[in-house]
Amino acid sequence: MDHALALPARRISDLLSSGLQARVKSKRQAMDQPRSDPDQDLVKRTQAGEASAFDDLVVKYTPRLYGLVYNMTSNHEDTNDLLQDIFAKAYKAIRGFRGKSSFYTWIHSIAVNMSLNFLKKRGRRFQLSLDDVDASIQNDKEFMEATATSSPVREADLSELQRRLNEAMMKLSEDHRAVVTMFHIQGMPHAEISKILRVSEGTVRSRLFYANRQLQNYLDEFRKNPVS
Amino acid sequence: MSPLSSSKRRAVVVFALAFCSGASLLFGQDQSATATISHQVREVFERAAKAVVKIHGVDKHSEICGTGFFVDPTGTLYTAYTVGGEAGNFTVEFGGKKCPARQLVADIRSGTAILKVDETTPALPIGKSDELEMAAPVISVGYPLDLPKTPNFGWIAGFDRKCLGRYFSTIHLRVNAPTQRGEAGAPLLNMKGEVVGIVVSGLENNAACYAVPIEAAEKIRSDFVRFGEARHGWIGVNNVSPASQQVEGSRAMVTQVAEDAPAGRAGLKEGDVLLEVGKKKISDPEDVFDASFYITAGDTVPITVMRGDQKITLQVQATMHPAAKTGMLLASPGTIPGVIPMSLDDDATPSP
Amino acid sequence: MDEFNDNEIARLLRLKRYEQPPPAYFENFLHEFHRRQRDELLRQPLWRICLERAHNFMLQLDIRSLASYPTAVAAMLVCAAIFSLKVYQQPETARVASQSPLTLSVPVNSDQEWNLASPVSTQIFRTQPLRSFRESAQTHRAAPPRYVLDSVPVSYEPTFKF
Repeated sequence: MDHALALPARRISDLLSSGLQARVKSKRQAMDQPRSDPDQDLVKRTQAGEASAFDDLVVKYTPRLYGLVYNMTSNHEDTNDLLQDIFAKAYKAIRGFRGKSSFYTWIHSIAVNMSLNFLKKRGRRFQLSLDDVDASIQNDKEFMEATATSSPVREADLSELQRRLNEAMMKLSEDHRAVVTMFHIQGMPHAEISKILRVSEGTVRSRLFYANRQLQNYLDEFRKNPVS
Repeated sequence: MSPLSSSKRRAVVVFALAFCSGASLLFGQDQSATATISHQVREVFERAAKAVVKIHGVDKHSEICGTGFFVDPTGTLYTAYTVGGEAGNFTVEFGGKKCPARQLVADIRSGTAILKVDETTPALPIGKSDELEMAAPVISVGYPLDLPKTPNFGWIAGFDRKCLGRYFSTIHLRVNAPTQRGEAGAPLLNMKGEVVGIVVSGLENNAACYAVPIEAAEKIRSDFVRFGEARHGWIGVNNVSPASQQVEGSRAMVTQVAEDAPAGRAGLKEGDVLLEVGKKKISDPEDVFDASFYITAGDTVPITVMRGDQKITLQVQATMHPAAKTGMLLASPGTIPGVIPMSLDDDATPSP
Repeated sequence: MDEFNDNEIARLLRLKRYEQPPPAYFENFLHEFHRRQRDELLRQPLWRICLERAHNFMLQLDIRSLASYPTAVAAMLVCAAIFSLKVYQQPETARVASQSPLTLSVPVNSDQEWNLASPVSTQIFRTQPLRSFRESAQTHRAAPPRYVLDSVPVSYEPTFKF
């Protein structure tokens, strides 16, 4: 695919005769970035003008960011639009990425912030557009335990619970939904979430605790009054 | 080297002559064999090409192009679901002109879609895919990229029920013919020029392809004629597992029967070993997909099972799958309408 | 930590991981991303493209203070001066360049009803080929149609139910 249009211009340092300058600059950058950033190479190549390196980053992060954005918005179409915008923004901003955090944290911050902004604008006017459940759930240990009887009625129960859970998630505030998504669904540790949201780990924990309680209350209410 | 004696020289000459004539015979045969294949392919191609069309459409993201073919003189055309299923504003190119087309029915489970052009059209005769055997030669005619219609030739490489762990809704024909983008919806023809399948996807970077048997599209069409939509039947067997022993040639044991469902009501029990579902013979659980694909909601399906020593045939009246009505979140995705669409529309009316 | 992981809510939430888009979605995503990038570039007026290029150029130099709009505008003016000098040497090109913005700004992805009366392709044929800076923008004037051949069949059955 011809990226002639989208290519950032070549680094000035490569054109200048002093290769030394380039070496010093890259060393400084390497020192700035956390040593263990696995995306460092791809980021540098993108910054140097290699658009296909950014393609690799897109392919790598789309599934992860999809999960994050989808569970916050509960709408596939909105998620798709948001993801496009997130990567577009990241592509424009990557030249200014100094590597103070890992690329993973950086792009997740962009994703969370854009999703939160979107949700705040969307407010209560939304339509659920949920993805179907992938077949591989059948191999999930917890799913198998939950549906491990010969009666198909149990699976209907679980399905109903999942539906109520989706409803309950939408009732949480956007910030609470964000931490619930990141911790429980995406499986991110508290430390990572706090870096992405730029809040303390204590704040992350307390939001999680509150959200858990809210969700549990909704489900308990549903159980007491199963007819909605 | 000492010069050869005259007798030896004679032997060499005879041998050389024999070798040359043998080689030319072989070469001649090869030439005629390839010429024959080429001639046959060209014949089928020239006859079929008139009824094969290029389809233009517009989907949510962009213009799309694919292939399709007429199956009757009134402009009914078959194509792949990925071409005719989720796009609109169709136009069809054939006989040097462009005509608008509308969608009649699109069915994701079969991977097919039926469009209609309001014109008199040539048509391809329908063949039988169960007459095909392994390594049967097949031809396809398609519109690759922005190129004119192109013949393709290959061999049936398999009758696959699944690939890489993913079960197909019905047996798919695997063809070892390199296929290009734009050829989704191309007809797969036997050497008599009859349609035996519809190309639906590439395999391994389009080095080979999958085609859905024409019977699958015919089933959808017959449902459409009877009911105005595709009607996939459900009888309520929730699980079929491999039995520890083969019983009458089958290992497919029913291990879960849904409550309040046609199968249960007709007397099907857990532990029954399936032998036949409708017209299809069952020998292991994977055969169930292909068999159940041809069940139409509302029809009575004869199901033969082994129960202990007894061979019993039950008449089960299939109904519509409950998920089609309620849209259960965790119901088997394969039976929820629109399960792998390119766009998910909560408001879409289900058409399983 | 256990309190977060062991309860029912946590288990149910974990199952939400399986809500996934169709497999073809991710395959198509990059294609869609490129298409949007091209669309966006085509829709942008020339001055904006220049401004962004200049901005990126400044960022590259690692001189933060220079990566500001006044500097970008100054750089753009310099570019414009150079460009206009070149244009002065090739008057025909300049005339065509000033005429073509109308056609280039037709977005492929417009909100209007797509109709066959005004396909983008005929718009392309109306423009004269340009020999200048604008030429690279011209090569991707409209996204070509997607020639359909998926890499897997759309149908699949996940369980032995029927």
